[in-house]
Amino acid sequence: MANKRTNTPADKGNRISRRGFIGASVVGGATTVLAPAALAGSTGISDKNQPKSTPPSEQKMEREVGSSVPPKPVQSVRRAASDLMVQVLKDLEIEYVALNPGSSFEGLQESLINYGDKPNSMPEVISALHEGSAVDMAHGYGRSEGKPMCALIQGTVGLQNGSMAIYQAFHGQTPLIVLAGNDEHNFLKVHTGEDIAALVRPFTKWDAQPETLEQTLLALQEAYRQTITPPCAPVLVVLNSEIQKQEAGDLQVPIYSPPKISGISQQQADSIAQNLILANNPRISVGRLRTPEGINSAVELAELVAASVQTSATTGPMSFPQRHPLVGPGSNNSYDYHLGLEKAAAQVSITGPDLKSLIERDVAGVRFGWKEDPTLRRGPKPETLISADAEASIPLIVSAVKEQLKASIRKSIAERLQASTKENHVFRMKSLRQAIEKKRPGWNDTPVSLARMYAELWPLIKDLDWCLASPTHFSGRHHRELWDHDKPYSYLGQFPAAALGYGLGSSTGAALAARDRDRIVINIQADGDFNYMPGSIWSAAHHKLPMLIIMHNNRAWHMELMYVQYMAGVRGRGTDRAHIGTTFRDPYINFAKIAEGYGMKSEGPISDPKQMVAALKRGIDAVRNGEPYLIDVLTQPR
Amino acid sequence: MIKILISTLLISVVSSLASTVLKAAPATPAMISGNADKGEALYYNHGCYACHGYNGIGKHNLANDVSGIMMSEAVYLIFLRARSELNPPLPTQRMPHYPESSLSDQEALDIYAYIRTFKDTPPEAESNATMRAIINSAQSQAPQ
Repeated sequence: MANKRTNTPADKGNRISRRGFIGASVVGGATTVLAPAALAGSTGISDKNQPKSTPPSEQKMEREVGSSVPPKPVQSVRRAASDLMVQVLKDLEIEYVALNPGSSFEGLQESLINYGDKPNSMPEVISALHEGSAVDMAHGYGRSEGKPMCALIQGTVGLQNGSMAIYQAFHGQTPLIVLAGNDEHNFLKVHTGEDIAALVRPFTKWDAQPETLEQTLLALQEAYRQTITPPCAPVLVVLNSEIQKQEAGDLQVPIYSPPKISGISQQQADSIAQNLILANNPRISVGRLRTPEGINSAVELAELVAASVQTSATTGPMSFPQRHPLVGPGSNNSYDYHLGLEKAAAQVSITGPDLKSLIERDVAGVRFGWKEDPTLRRGPKPETLISADAEASIPLIVSAVKEQLKASIRKSIAERLQASTKENHVFRMKSLRQAIEKKRPGWNDTPVSLARMYAELWPLIKDLDWCLASPTHFSGRHHRELWDHDKPYSYLGQFPAAALGYGLGSSTGAALAARDRDRIVINIQADGDFNYMPGSIWSAAHHKLPMLIIMHNNRAWHMELMYVQYMAGVRGRGTDRAHIGTTFRDPYINFAKIAEGYGMKSEGPISDPKQMVAALKRGIDAVRNGEPYLIDVLTQPR
Repeated sequence: MIKILISTLLISVVSSLASTVLKAAPATPAMISGNADKGEALYYNHGCYACHGYNGIGKHNLANDVSGIMMSEAVYLIFLRARSELNPPLPTQRMPHYPESSLSDQEALDIYAYIRTFKDTPPEAESNATMRAIINSAQSQAPQ
């Protein structure tokens, strides 16, 4: 049966179909470099025209479990094609490839571990026990560093295992590259497909299924460009199994050119700079920027004009340092010019493209959670909304401010800086004392108060370079007032798609970023979330990642417990049965023993707060020595 | 709709009056007719701990008689029962309903007796090493 191809809406305009893409590239020579636009889309295929799958034969199953030789002899090559693919990843400074092994990328995997002067380095292979864990690791790494690492997974099955994690990263607008092996000829048909990227197309930004080595190298580079260009989101390259094993001949790796991310116009920059300079009391609200460089620019801008700053550093990564002297309400809250950088503001908001710009990839029409832009939902409605990447815009504003700043104004700015700094500190101390007053109740309680858990941690880590990688919504978010979120990665934020099974893998990814940077990762791990994909415990132990896991063990999916309890109350029956299906009772789960089984040092369960404090010290010591550690703490529910 | 409005109003009035009375009146021991031991099991089984913690400290604190609703058995029962007339379309994390079909008066009073045993004696911030360390760390960042 012939397959009928249908172009997706995304293929229209400047995008081309997969066949067009192939046709455009094969005519070129070995070092032909394609225009990025030629790589920008893949073909969607109508489901009803897909070939029907048949169960695997006995021989194929034997091949899968390793008891049979591959059906096709593998040729020895002088220069392996997959070595060039690894060279592209090296050139892009991809630090890690988290993989769950599959039989469609043995060529690439062999190159990853054996190719180069320093094999298995930049990128280093990270063993993941589940494809979802591999993608979650890439997600945590991407949020922490503002740049991608790769997750390498197997065909249709691996992609579906990883799909929830990809969906989460999509809503987290996180840069990461998924590589999926695909063996079209010699393998289980159910592991392959003609357009396997379609499985995740509605919640990826871009995909490609190259059919030559040259296309593959270009696709890897384009994937990198796409994922770091706003809106940042996961991208996918489907890697043909046979191409990986080919002879590369004299083919050279194409020269990579970084993306050009455009900001506001010079005219707009001049106008914003003028308003910031002339304002008596300017304010800047900073949301999530893309990279640490963006934060540095934002700090420079705020200091140049002595604007008071509102930060998002306590709700997610890549925002303005929380304890910078300008963060706070300033000397008074009558702001006469309010600028938003990826955040709503009264006068001007500069906001980059969001996920809505990718809606055409949702060819099935699922419309996953498309709602109003959450960054604009709660804040003031700006007089002017500029659709442009804020990070790319800030340097233009900084330059314009520097040009326009006159000596006469510098004096008043200096005075404002001094006044704001003073008032912000007063405000901070008042807020801190109020917060501590609220966190005192239950201090000596057993099981442990969550507020105390966060409070006891802070003196132990405050002088270290740390990253709080886990979502903290369920454990009370007590770090917001008590800790100092001054680094781009201080807090990596909530579950972007509110889906469980994320915290452990993403924290492991953050710990990958931390390992060679003399940084430690704190993961306050919800027990319900833990049980989806606990295998990251082994990955962290195996790779010696500096991650301290402190279980928030309330022995329940607690939010759901409260929902069912409420429903029973509404219906006037059985409020004493709400624990059914919502709690982990009979038997209780022993997380310390699970960790021990995976080879991670651990202790617990602990319900006495004094014992917890001693355990935290031991845990921090272990992590500082490069050993992950888990402490199972029985806590108050919330 | 009218029933819901009346219930909502009643809860609001009871809560507000109870708080006001509690603040104004000298502390007098409230009558406790329930069995605290039985109440302990009921407090757990009916999920009170979910929001109020195992010891009366949680999202909404009960220890140390901070809630005006706990000033007397009568006020507590009115609050508990009035809510059962509310039927919002979606479950939320608000205080669940406890009509008599879920929880008898006697059981409710047993829970009341147990709640009244809660006492919380946290350290003062200045006398606690951890809290002091947090405050001192922030203070050390004062502008020169």
